[in-house]
Amino acid sequence: MTTISSAADQAPVAEPLVGRPDVNRKRLARLGWAFTAPALIFVGAVTIFPIIYSVVLSLSNVTVSGSGFSLNGFTTSNYRVVLTNATWHYALFFTIIYTFVTVLVELVLGTMIALVLERLAGGRGWMMALLLLPWSMITVINAELWGYIYQGTYGVAEAIFTALGLPVPAAGFLGTQYPAIISLMVADIWKTTPFVAIIVLAGLVMLPGDVYEAAEVDGSSGWSTFWRITVPLLRPTLALAVLFRVLQAFGLFDLPYVLTNGGPGTSTTSLAILGYNAMFKDLHFGTGAAVATTTALLVLLGCLVSLRTFKVQVGKEGD
Amino acid sequence: MRNRKRKGWHRIINGVTISTFFVVIFVAAPLYWLIATSFKTPANLGDSPPQYFPHPISTQNYHDAFVTNDFGIYFRNSLIVTLIATALVLVLGTMAGYALGRLPMRGKFTLMVTLLIISVFPEIAVIAPLYLLLRNIGWLNSYQALIIPYTAFNLPFAVWILRNYMLGIPKEMEETGRIDGAGPIRTVWSIIVPMALPGVFTAGIFCFTACWTEFLMALTFNISNNFRTIPVGIAEFGTVFTVPYGTIFAASTVAVVPIGILVFIFRKFVISGLTSGAVKG
Repeated sequence: MTTISSAADQAPVAEPLVGRPDVNRKRLARLGWAFTAPALIFVGAVTIFPIIYSVVLSLSNVTVSGSGFSLNGFTTSNYRVVLTNATWHYALFFTIIYTFVTVLVELVLGTMIALVLERLAGGRGWMMALLLLPWSMITVINAELWGYIYQGTYGVAEAIFTALGLPVPAAGFLGTQYPAIISLMVADIWKTTPFVAIIVLAGLVMLPGDVYEAAEVDGSSGWSTFWRITVPLLRPTLALAVLFRVLQAFGLFDLPYVLTNGGPGTSTTSLAILGYNAMFKDLHFGTGAAVATTTALLVLLGCLVSLRTFKVQVGKEGD
Repeated sequence: MRNRKRKGWHRIINGVTISTFFVVIFVAAPLYWLIATSFKTPANLGDSPPQYFPHPISTQNYHDAFVTNDFGIYFRNSLIVTLIATALVLVLGTMAGYALGRLPMRGKFTLMVTLLIISVFPEIAVIAPLYLLLRNIGWLNSYQALIIPYTAFNLPFAVWILRNYMLGIPKEMEETGRIDGAGPIRTVWSIIVPMALPGVFTAGIFCFTACWTEFLMALTFNISNNFRTIPVGIAEFGTVFTVPYGTIFAASTVAVVPIGILVFIFRKFVISGLTSGAVKG
C-alpha cells in the first residue's frame, strides 16, 4: 500500500492564488472540506456504518420476531457455527475455485483476443463497442439467457452438442454438480472475457513500439517476444485486471442465484448466496452477518496480498 | 508498426481476420440468440431442435412483457433510480474530486485509500444492516431505498476517476475565475467542470451501468411489484413452474438496448475509464 502514498504525495496541488499564502491555504482547505463533506457523509452513512454494524450483528445473539429483532449480548457462537459448518466450507471452496478458474480463463482468452484485435487493420472501434455489450449487460439477463441455452429439452446447447457428436451430460447441463459448475463458469466467461480483452488491448496499444523493433533486429521470435517483452510490460495492466476481477468474482451472487439457485443441492452456492439465504430465507441474521463479515475480510486480505504481489501502483496508474 | 504489409487476398483473409471472425461469433452469438428468441412465437420457443431463425416473426412476447406483465413499471423504476443516483454521484463526486485533486487539504491520502477500500467491498457485507435500517424507518419498497445506497456505492469510484482528471487540468485555470471575481462554486461549475467533462462522462457511464444492472440490493429492499427494477422484475418472471423465456427475452432486449446505445456512444470514455487504472466491472 506504500506505493499509493508516494503517488498521492507527489500529486500536484493547486497553489493558492491571491493574497497571503497562509491565509489562503486555510481558506482553501476549509473550502475543500466543504466540497468533500457531502460525498463523505453519503459514503460513511451507507457503507462504513453498516460495515461496523454488520460486525456487531455477527458478534451478537440476534433474535428475530414478528415485530422486529433484538440483540441479546455478545457471543462468538455465530463464527463458531459458520467456521465448523460443512456448507460454509464447501461455499468457500467453491467460491475460490470458481474465482481462480474463471479469472485464469478470462485472462488467457482476453489476452488472446486483445493480441488479435491489436493486429486488426480497421474496425477496431466497432470491435471495442461489440466487446462492451456483454460487459454492460444485466447479469440476471445473462443468467436467464444461459438458462435457456442449457435448457434440457429445447436448449440450443444440447442441439449443438448432439450435432457435434459430443456427449450431453445425462442429467442435463445444470442437473449435476460438475456440469452445473462448468456451465456456470462458461456463462461468466462469456460475459467477462470481452471486458478483460478491452483492458489488455488498451494496455497493448500504449506499449512503446521501438522496443519491438529492437527485438526484431535482435532476431527475437514472436513467442519469445511475447513472453520476454509484452508480458512484463503489460504486467501492471494485467495485475489490475486480475485484482478487480478476483474481488468481483469473490462476491459472486447474481449469476448462480438466477441460473442454478445455488444448486443442484448446494453445489453452486457461493459465499454471498449462503450469506443471503442465511439472512433473508432462514432469518439467521447473526450467522448471515458472520458469513458476510468473513467474506469481506477475505476480500480485504486478497486485495492486500495481490497489491503486494503485483506491486501495483494504484495511485500512479491513475495519473 | 508491427503490422506486416500484406498483398493480394492476404489483405482480406489472413490469421488476424479469421480470428477476429471467431471473436465476433463468440461475443455476438448469445446476443443474437437473446434477440432472435424474443421474436419467436410463444409456441415456437419450445421447438426441438430450436428454430435458428424466428419464423414467423412475432411481437407477442413484447405484448406479454408490457401488457400482460408489468415490465413497463420495472423499466420506469430502473430509469428513475438510475438517473437520480447517477446525477447525485456526478454532482457530489465532482465537488469531492475537485477538492481532493486541487485544494490543499490534510489527510487527503487517508481519504483516498479509504474510498478505494470501500469501493471494493462486497455488497453482501452491508446488506443486512441496511435492510434492518430501511425497515425501521419504513423505507423498504421506495425509490430512496435504492437511490441512497447506489449513490454511496458508486461515489468512491467516481471520486477517484474525477480526481485523476482534475489533477491533469493546468492550475492557471482557476486564476482566471478568481480574477473575474467568481465564487468557488461558480469557478468549479464554469471553468473546471467543462475541462473535466471527459472524466464526468466516464464516471457517469460507469455509475449508470452499475445502477442499471444491480441486483442484490434491489432484490432485498424493493420486492413489491410497484418498486421492482428491471433485474428483479426479470428474475421474478421465472418463479412460476415454466420459465416464460419469451417474456423474459422481450423484456431483456428492451433492457439491453438503452445501455447498449449509451455504451456505444460513450465507448471512448468507458475505455478511458477502464484503462485509467481504476478498473471496475
